Amino acid sequence: MILTALANGSQHGYGIIIDVREISGGRVRLRAGTLYSALDRLRADELIVVDREEVVEGRLRRYYRLTPAGTRRLAAEAARLQAAAAAALMRLKLAGGMAT
Amino acid sequence: MTDQADLERGYRRLLACYPPEFRRENGQEILAVLMAGARDDQRRPGLAESADLIRSGVWMRLRPSVPPSARTVQAAVRLMYAGAAASAVGLIFGMALMIVDLQVAVSGQFLGHSLIAQKPFVITVSIAFGLVVVCMWLWMARANGRGRNWARILSTVLFVLATLQLRGAFTQPASHAGLGVTVLYYGGVVPFVAAWLVGAAAVWLLWRPASAAFFKPPGSTQARRRWPGDACGPVGSQLP
Repeated sequence: MILTALANGSQHGYGIIIDVREISGGRVRLRAGTLYSALDRLRADELIVVDREEVVEGRLRRYYRLTPAGTRRLAAEAARLQAAAAAALMRLKLAGGMAT
Repeated sequence: MTDQADLERGYRRLLACYPPEFRRENGQEILAVLMAGARDDQRRPGLAESADLIRSGVWMRLRPSVPPSARTVQAAVRLMYAGAAASAVGLIFGMALMIVDLQVAVSGQFLGHSLIAQKPFVITVSIAFGLVVVCMWLWMARANGRGRNWARILSTVLFVLATLQLRGAFTQPASHAGLGVTVLYYGGVVPFVAAWLVGAAAVWLLWRPASAAFFKPPGSTQARRRWPGDACGPVGSQLP
């Protein structure tokens, strides 16, 4: 989810929370603690990096972006989900076909 | 405005759960996100929000900071946590043995070798020693996980001491009353032996050539500077 939020450009922490909420249709509400644990792990795995830092209203604001490895991981994950969804739809269609 | 200040102070207190290094790096930013997500009239951190911060903070403290490149050290650190668990189990068995032993003595079936009945001092020392051993495991796991070279050496020394002690455990007679006590006795020895085996594996992993790069030469850790101007530095001092 976080990688998806970063897919079309860099984002800062609060931006990611808002974005994830929008992507999930309001179902996923990331909390700050969880978000920063995840960002720390993604940075350690070199899937994201800090793009730039800004100071807004006296506070540091970091923007994160995907690394090439992060982009690849997201693409692989999306393909996997798509395949799983396609398989589910296919089976539902078959089951529906047999029922009628 | 005072509401905001109260809220910010509340958040800062919760951020103290995080390891200091992480707080220096990300504290300000997390605080900004928390403040941005807060309602206008909010004076205190919400319950779910607080739980999330505490959980994440504690997790980050416990999690060994081992890069994926040092798998052997990561495995050793995990083994050390397992060793702590085995020692804790051993301690519980040991305590159960002492209680049973004490009951046997009290109920009048005094059967010669009751190491405990006359020696409450022995009980206290044994329990304290057991707790120290568990703490040592945890301490070594953390210190090795952070790449401290002294921890690697100290772990090895402790392992050698444990080996000497293990020989003693087998010479101790398990010869008295009832099946229950015997079972408890061996129940107490099994985790002890398990802990020793775990220790052997952990020490072996720590000295594998692959682990060497992870342990920095002594002195290089001092190169890490503290940032004096950091807003999240004095979190601890704001506590009442």
